[in-house]
Amino acid sequence: MVGIVLVSHGSMAEGMMDAARMIVGSMESVVSVSLKESDAAEDLMARIETALLEVDQGDGVLILVDAFGASPFNASARVAMQRKNVEVITGMNLPMLLELAVQREGQDLGAVTQTALQAGTTSIRTLSQTLKGNSAAG
Amino acid sequence: MPVIHVRMDNRLIHGQILVSWNSAFKIQHIIVTNDVVAGDPLQVTLLKAVAPLTAKVSVLSIKDCVAYCNSPEAEKENIFILAKYPEDGLALVEGGLNMPQLNLGNQAFVRGSKKISDTVFLTESGVKALKKMHERGIRITCRMMPSDPDSDYWPTVQKTLPDWAQ
Repeated sequence: MVGIVLVSHGSMAEGMMDAARMIVGSMESVVSVSLKESDAAEDLMARIETALLEVDQGDGVLILVDAFGASPFNASARVAMQRKNVEVITGMNLPMLLELAVQREGQDLGAVTQTALQAGTTSIRTLSQTLKGNSAAG
Repeated sequence: MPVIHVRMDNRLIHGQILVSWNSAFKIQHIIVTNDVVAGDPLQVTLLKAVAPLTAKVSVLSIKDCVAYCNSPEAEKENIFILAKYPEDGLALVEGGLNMPQLNLGNQAFVRGSKKISDTVFLTESGVKALKKMHERGIRITCRMMPSDPDSDYWPTVQKTLPDWAQ
């Protein structure tokens, strides 16, 4: 199974796991890493490396980060670029994590990444858009 | 003036730069300058990849950064210089860059450094570099965000780390 590492500013990653557990229960091979204000990039990279080792079962790891270009992304990218079978996806959100929690078994890293991308982007919508869609269909 | 801001930040281009500083200034060119980073192809690739849509990113050695900023081409741009450590700032000044102000951003703990605040740890050599710049009349500030006051930070360094600042 592809491992999942969540990396964020502050406690967002931890909070994301906490929220996901309320919906799907405990998750296998998912860990979180937080950036603290006093962290050097290298400290964060070292913690990401440790997290990768923890969740990697040989099928690769997908790293979910909060924002493109920010320190959690930069550190994750620097780790991923030096390894094989590690992908990074930005803009982590709860639907993305939930989909990964229930839909990873038997999928390779490429497929898991597509699942995350799809779930993460299609889950962003407005109420009015949703209601309009419903009335058109009805 | 082409160089609008000079910041020493270990994290280089990251969230605070892309979001807060980029929206506060009309940055057209971010120059990341540090000799180690400029010699690391992986970091150069990544830094260029995270460029904001409105600014270009260059990664240059200290020497090349000074040469570029003193060239006629630089006159037409708003340049934001990002380096890692106070020593980089001093090297820029000693190389011939005219800078009225040097801002300290994130300075994470490294071996031998001492804490000034949660976001600023300085080594003895870093403090000595700041002292030299202070003595040249460069105003040392410490602003994580553009909204932080640009008050003189040297007295804080002197007070917190007196043995190194004397």
